[in-house]
Amino acid sequence: MSKSPSSLPIEIKISTVVAISAILHSSDPIAIDAALTQMTGGVSDFFEDEFAVIDVAAIADSAYIDWRALVDLLKKYRLNAVAVRGAGPGMLAAIKARGLALDDGAGADRAREDVAAASAAVTIAQPPAPAPQPQPQSVALPAMIVDTPVRAGQRVYARGCDLIITAAVNNGAEIIADGSIHVYAPMHGRALAGASGNADSRIFGLALQPELVSIAGVYRTFDEGFPAELARQPAQIRLVGDRIDISSLTPASSRT
Amino acid sequence: MARIIVVTSGKGGVGKTTSSASFSTGLALRGHKTAVLDFDVGLRNLDLIMGCERRVVYDLVNVVNGEATLNQALIKDKHCDNLFILPASQTRDKDALSEDGIERVLNELVKMDFEFIICDSPAGIEHGALMALTFADEALIVTNPEVSSVRDSDRILGIIQAKSRRAQTGGEPVKEHLLITRYSPKRVENDEMLSYQDVQEILRIPLIGIIPESESVLHASNQGNPAIHFKGTDVAEAYEDVVARFLGEERPLRFTNYEKPGLLQRLFGTK
Repeated sequence: MSKSPSSLPIEIKISTVVAISAILHSSDPIAIDAALTQMTGGVSDFFEDEFAVIDVAAIADSAYIDWRALVDLLKKYRLNAVAVRGAGPGMLAAIKARGLALDDGAGADRAREDVAAASAAVTIAQPPAPAPQPQPQSVALPAMIVDTPVRAGQRVYARGCDLIITAAVNNGAEIIADGSIHVYAPMHGRALAGASGNADSRIFGLALQPELVSIAGVYRTFDEGFPAELARQPAQIRLVGDRIDISSLTPASSRT
Repeated sequence: MARIIVVTSGKGGVGKTTSSASFSTGLALRGHKTAVLDFDVGLRNLDLIMGCERRVVYDLVNVVNGEATLNQALIKDKHCDNLFILPASQTRDKDALSEDGIERVLNELVKMDFEFIICDSPAGIEHGALMALTFADEALIVTNPEVSSVRDSDRILGIIQAKSRRAQTGGEPVKEHLLITRYSPKRVENDEMLSYQDVQEILRIPLIGIIPESESVLHASNQGNPAIHFKGTDVAEAYEDVVARFLGEERPLRFTNYEKPGLLQRLFGTK
């Protein structure tokens, strides 16, 4: 047998994975458990064994966190904790002992400063040297582009990126993106932007008439029909506070 | 080169079997050797509409299972020498159809020099419908001008694009044709029915024909003769147009405009 590269026992490639951020505002496992129960409404597969990054930037460094209990708790809700983000220097040893990785990307600025001061922690906080960890902020994934009509019953998901569709989206179809959604043809059906929680995502369309839109989990249905003054014309949909806002993109001068 | 054409819709009762019968008859009348296969195992209808129900001995499931040869099961049409019907089984269910078995039957039909093989799909999007569309080269999407039928047609188009053999092997996509049936220009005029432009706007596939709503379709089914045989009726002419367009001829669209009855007709109430 020839030794093609694929016959190597291991190959190293950079890949980007999508993880859910579990942002803690409390270190009390009972309070977290209660909040998760309420959030998932008791649906056991609300999360589908997704990766989770525990964000503790909002927790005081001195607070005691029982990492084992926290990981088990998330596991109970089918969230796999893989890393901790925004950890204070006092937490690092306990996090490492639990086998969790440290993500010093967004929200970890505080930790990084502390690391510079406390040289003892440097070896822990630095990512394993040669392989640079791709960071969502710096490496943009190319948008997913769809050129064929999205029909009833079909579902398109642009994981970790924007979704651009140049053909019609019909009623009964579902288009989902972790970034923003752009549709250059009549858009019906359901459109869900910012599916992993990015509230800055938007939906843009040349002729919008969706059944449902959602941004970062905040949704709006159109039981009474899509606002007539905005339907079938260029418009954008974004999240303003906790409200879905629809606004025209037609230049004011050309409005009739 | 044989062409395998699936006649499908998603929704039931829109005219798949009626269209399969008239379309295959039309092709045969023009001299093409044609086979029409009923995939609606358990609810056989095609043989009734073709008027050959009393001649059914073996069926598609028998052939798929190797219990009968194609020559034994194919029924020669009573009007056309080059049209053959392969009926569905009434006593089995659709799970009796296997993909390998269907492929074998279709390959055998191709070897028997059939030019067109028409697969009359059952309603729904389950196994039977999948088996009918898997090997299709082209698809006739039968749609009524109303929202639920259009939605189901949209769904079945998506399934063809995902599940057909051509899609799975990355071949040339299945060629899609839109056939609108039970069209009533009068009701379109009164906004009671979607216009054919509305339907096309949603489905976005080429229109191959419009069959007007007509009592002669029911009459034809009950008699066991495909509607295309009723010369002079608008339905027969519309199906002839469909066959002609399918074979590459140019035909203008007919039966799309509502002609208001004239004054004298209204006064005297004549038909």
